[in-house]
This record gives sequence, structure tokens and C-alpha cells, in this order.
Amino acid sequence: MVERVIEVEDLAKRYPPDTMAIDGISFSIERGRVFSLLGPNGAGKTTTVEILEGLRTPTSGRTRVFDVDTSKDYASIRGRVGILPQNFEPFDNLKPVEAVEYWAKLFDKRKTRKDINEMLDIVGLSERKNLLAKKLSGGEKRKLGIALSLINDPELLFLDEPTTGLDPKARRDLWKLIEEIQGRGTTVLLTTHYLDEAEKLSDDVAIMHRGNIIARGSPSELISRFGKTTVVVLEGVGTDGLTEVTRRGIEATEVDGDVMVPVANPSEMRTIFAKLSSIELPVKDMYTRRQTLEDVFLSLVGTKMDEGVLEE
Amino acid sequence: MIGRIMADIVAFGKGYLRNVSGPFFAFAFPILLILIFGAIFSGDNVATVDLPVQNLDDGLYSQVYLEILDGTGLVNIETIPADADIDQYIDDNSLPLALVIPDDFTAGIEELLYANGTGQVSMTLYGDPSRSTYGIAVGAVDAAITYLNYNLTEAEPLVSFQVSQGGAEEFNYMDFFLPGVVGITVMTNSLFAMTSICAEYRTRGYFKLLATTKITKSEWLISKFVFFTVILVASLVLTYAIGRALFDMETTLTPISFVLIAAGAFLFVSMGMLLGIIIRDPESGAAVANAIGFPMMFLSGAFFPLDSMPEYLQLIAKVIPLTYLNEGLRDTMVYSNNESAMLNLAVLAVIAVIVFVAASRLMSWKGK
Repeated sequence: MVERVIEVEDLAKRYPPDTMAIDGISFSIERGRVFSLLGPNGAGKTTTVEILEGLRTPTSGRTRVFDVDTSKDYASIRGRVGILPQNFEPFDNLKPVEAVEYWAKLFDKRKTRKDINEMLDIVGLSERKNLLAKKLSGGEKRKLGIALSLINDPELLFLDEPTTGLDPKARRDLWKLIEEIQGRGTTVLLTTHYLDEAEKLSDDVAIMHRGNIIARGSPSELISRFGKTTVVVLEGVGTDGLTEVTRRGIEATEVDGDVMVPVANPSEMRTIFAKLSSIELPVKDMYTRRQTLEDVFLSLVGTKMDEGVLEE
Repeated sequence: MIGRIMADIVAFGKGYLRNVSGPFFAFAFPILLILIFGAIFSGDNVATVDLPVQNLDDGLYSQVYLEILDGTGLVNIETIPADADIDQYIDDNSLPLALVIPDDFTAGIEELLYANGTGQVSMTLYGDPSRSTYGIAVGAVDAAITYLNYNLTEAEPLVSFQVSQGGAEEFNYMDFFLPGVVGITVMTNSLFAMTSICAEYRTRGYFKLLATTKITKSEWLISKFVFFTVILVASLVLTYAIGRALFDMETTLTPISFVLIAAGAFLFVSMGMLLGIIIRDPESGAAVANAIGFPMMFLSGAFFPLDSMPEYLQLIAKVIPLTYLNEGLRDTMVYSNNESAMLNLAVLAVIAVIVFVAASRLMSWKGK
């Protein structure tokens, strides 16, 4: 039987006077899975996670972690959970090696210096372990945060926007680290507004928008359910190109000067290419691409998202 | 629990000592106060006041009087030209003090002595009573007049007095000042540091982070109390050693003085956390701590004896917790009055426990 580590039922959270941060959401997470709450800023992701972490009380609904009601008895499961909060900042004047040792003791864990060094090695901070935390880069600080969240050997790990604000290399490094954690069988609840991050790391994704879950499934399920199989991209043809395409009876949209032609059925591809080849406009490039969660998000919400902010 | 508290003390201590402002306020601040105030108030120098004198009399008795006045050692006599307009001269030279001996001074005294004249011969002291030098000048002028009167009338004084400091006869102002400096150091380090720590912990999300571990608010607060007590006791010993070495202080370190420091640290750490409930950022934290701390500093008898203050300020001082710390430290360190020190300690301890309970109950590390 599949064990559910997290169960959320009709969860709602209202902030006075009338902000509905979460509007009756339900989901569950099975042991060993990586589950992502994906959505723009203000969607209710962090509020949901903080209720599950026992840091906020819900207005209504039920949240259970390891079968314990988090609003009543979170203390009893504290030792089984690791947390990387949103915008994690380490203690400036502690070295990584000292911070990890300190954190282990706050969980009553006896860790040897060897254990601590191993943990710093896992997160890739071995060479920076004796530097004051304030001298670490943004990515290194997050890695230190992950080391702290793992020091109590958690069965469940909350990662609240772990890569927000990091440069691409630091993001890729953290993705690799999260994949390694996943490989150890730890259940992970990840919140993110990066669609590529959710697609790459998650077994399951719940897309949140305005306090609601508007879609849920594995990345491939969501793409097949809400997206088209393939998209033909006419690069740089702009509005004129869109006019020419639609005049030929082909459904299309324009995004940033490119025209996107969704192809639901691969058998239609030949016909569509034939029609498109008759267009006499300068095309920078024409190629096909598989749809991503970005397309799913665009399809569901009706607008794109950049750094967690919905475009007008 | 002990393991978590010790871990927090060690981690917090490392962070505190690696930050310049922490050790400065714990060690350098009280030492600087002692050095500055020590330089001002210690030593055998008797304060003297510059006293410009316009002597309009060219007779014997004005010369005798000025010699007596000079002999008091309290004033440095300076000469104002006899032909100067005194009001104009005072204005032009911004004089805080001036003494004018009238032109009939000698003649008037001779008339009283030898011609059975009546009345008195008078001189005029110009001065601003709000200036601290005014009192010294009045005292010196009056003492010299009294002495001259006795000599002129050939009388002997019947009543006199001697000065004695009673039980504290060996003590000087610095002995009085040291416990005040220690009290202020206890308050500034514990209260000011804790308000800014609480603001920083809230802003940077450390409280939420701590709330996800096994350490409790009470354990965290106890850790800060233990840390600040150790630091402040070390600060007291250092300040005391420097004070004794440089300024011949006679105060003594007593076991009760250490207990008082611990109680003070307990109170002000808790008070800092209590303020942390309303403070949302480090800037407002510093403002609130200053707004509360500075009045306490001056109204608690740290720098001046409480009984030199107006009565209504003495009433205010009674409700300021720092007063009990300063008075307790002074009782035990200066006057060896441990009974009174214990009474102050008891008051301090009761306030500290109330504030601690309020702080640990009212402050929430979590969101709403």
C-alpha cells in the first residue's frame, strides 16, 4: 500500500481583512516522490508550505504530515522534517561547518566532525566550509541552507523556492543536488515559479493560481492534457506572419515576434508544412519543438510568467 | 535541553564576538566611560574659578580683603580696570562672574570702626546663578567677608564644623560612578542588543527557522541570558581592574554584585525580547531601544545621586528597573550594605521574572 506522507484537504487561509491566500485546496504526496507547487508570486504556495511546517494556522481545512495534524502537534514530527525556507539567509558570522554543527544540536542529533564534513561535501561546500557565511555566494548560501535542512536526516524535505534569484549555473548545481536527495528516497515538497525547474525535478506538479490548484499531474500528463503535442515555430515573422498563417486556415498565436502553430496530431504535420511554405515572408528560422510546462501554464492561466510575476 | 542551550550559546557567542559592535559595547564602552569620567573627576585638584574684580577703592581694607579672598584657593583673581563701565565690560567680555568693590570700602569700614557709624559696607558680585561656577564664587566671596569681619571685630567664632564622609570616607566620585557604569553596561548590552537581535531574527526569518527545530523560546532566551551574564561579568572585572589601577578606587567586587549583574542581564534580555514583539525591522529596533534606554540611563542614578534630583524625578526613578540595579551594585560594592543590596536584588528579580514570562509567552516565532 502506498504511504501518503502529506495529506491536505479543503485547506483555506484568509488574511485579514479579505485576502484569500488559499481557497480550499486538496492534494496528497506519496512517500519518496518529488512534488512541486508551481505558480506565480502570491499564488499561495508559501502559505501552504508554512501551514504544513506548523508555522501558520489554517483558517479551515485539514493538513496532515506523517498522519499528524500540523496545526495541533507539529512538534511530534519536527525531527522527521527538513526545511529550507523561502529567501533563506544563513547566520552571517558563522562558518558553514559551525552552522551545520549548531543546527544538528538544535535537533538533538549527535554528529561527528566527519558527519558534518560529509554533509558539506554532499552539498558541495567542502572547500568553503571555513569561510564566514556572509562571504558565501547566493548559491552557496542556499546550499548551506540545504545542508542545514538535511542534517537531521529528514524523511520529508520542504524546499521553498530554493533557486529563486540564483544565476543559471547555481540553479543547475542545486537541481543536481535535489536530484541526489531524491535518489536517497527522501520525499520532497518543492515550491517554485520556474516552470523548467518543476518540469525537470518533479514527479508530480500542482499548478497554483490565486489560491487554487488549477491543474495537477506529472509534467508529461499535464503537457499531454493541456498542451498540444508539438509546436511549429516561425521565428521573427511577427504580426504579418500571424496574419498570413491564419489566412490559410491554420490556428496560431504570436509570442514575442514568433508565430507558434500547435499541431495536435503528427499526421497533420505534412499538410501544415505545405501551407506554411507558401508564405512569402522573411523567416529567420522554422523549427518544431515539444511543448513544455510553460505552454501548459500559458494555456491554463492565459499569460506567461517571468521570475514569478505574471505578464500583463 | 542543556545541549540545545549550550549549542545556542556557542553559536550566538561566536557570531556576537565576531561582530565589532558587540565587544565594543561590552568592553570598550564601560572602559572609555571610566577613563573619561576618571580623568575629569579624580585627582586632588580643587576646582578654582576665575573671578574678575574691579577694585574702585584704593584703601587698605580692600587690599586686605583681596588677600583673604585669594587665600581661599577657590578663585583666581583677575583685574578689571577701575575706569571701566562694569555693565559694558561684563557684556563686552562675556563674563560669567565679576566682583566690584566700591570706592568707599575702606572709608566706610573706618567710619564703622572708629566713628561709631551705623549700617554696613557692601560689595557687589555679578553672576549667573545657573552656572556651576557661581556657587563656588559666592562661597569664596562670603567666606572671605566672614573672615574679614571676625578680624575687624576681633571676635572668635563659637561654632564650627568638620567634614567627614562617614562609612564611605575613603571613597571618591569614581567609586560612586563605577557601579553606575556597570549598570549602564548591563542595560545597553542586554536591552539594546536583544532588540536589534529580535528585529534581525524577524526580518531575516531566523525565528521561523528556529521554530522548525527543537529549541524552545524559553531555551533560546535562557541561552542569551547566560551568554550576556558571562560577558557582563567579564566586563565588570575588567572595568573594575582598570578603575582600581588608574583611579585609586576603593570599591570591592562582591558575590552579590555578580548576582545583581545576572539578574540585570535576565531582566534586560527579556525586556529586549518583549520589545521585539512590536519591532519589525532593525532601524526601528535601535530607535525604540534608544528611546527607552537613554531616559533610564539618566534617571536611574547612574551618573548622579538620586537624592540630588527633583522629587518628581526621584518618583520616576523608583519605577525604572535600572535604578534597582545601580542602587544594589552601589550598596554592595561601595557601602558594603549587603542587606540593602539584597532588597534591590529582590525587586530586580521579581520584575525580571514577570518580564521573562511575558516575553516567552507573548512573542511568537511563527506567522499568523
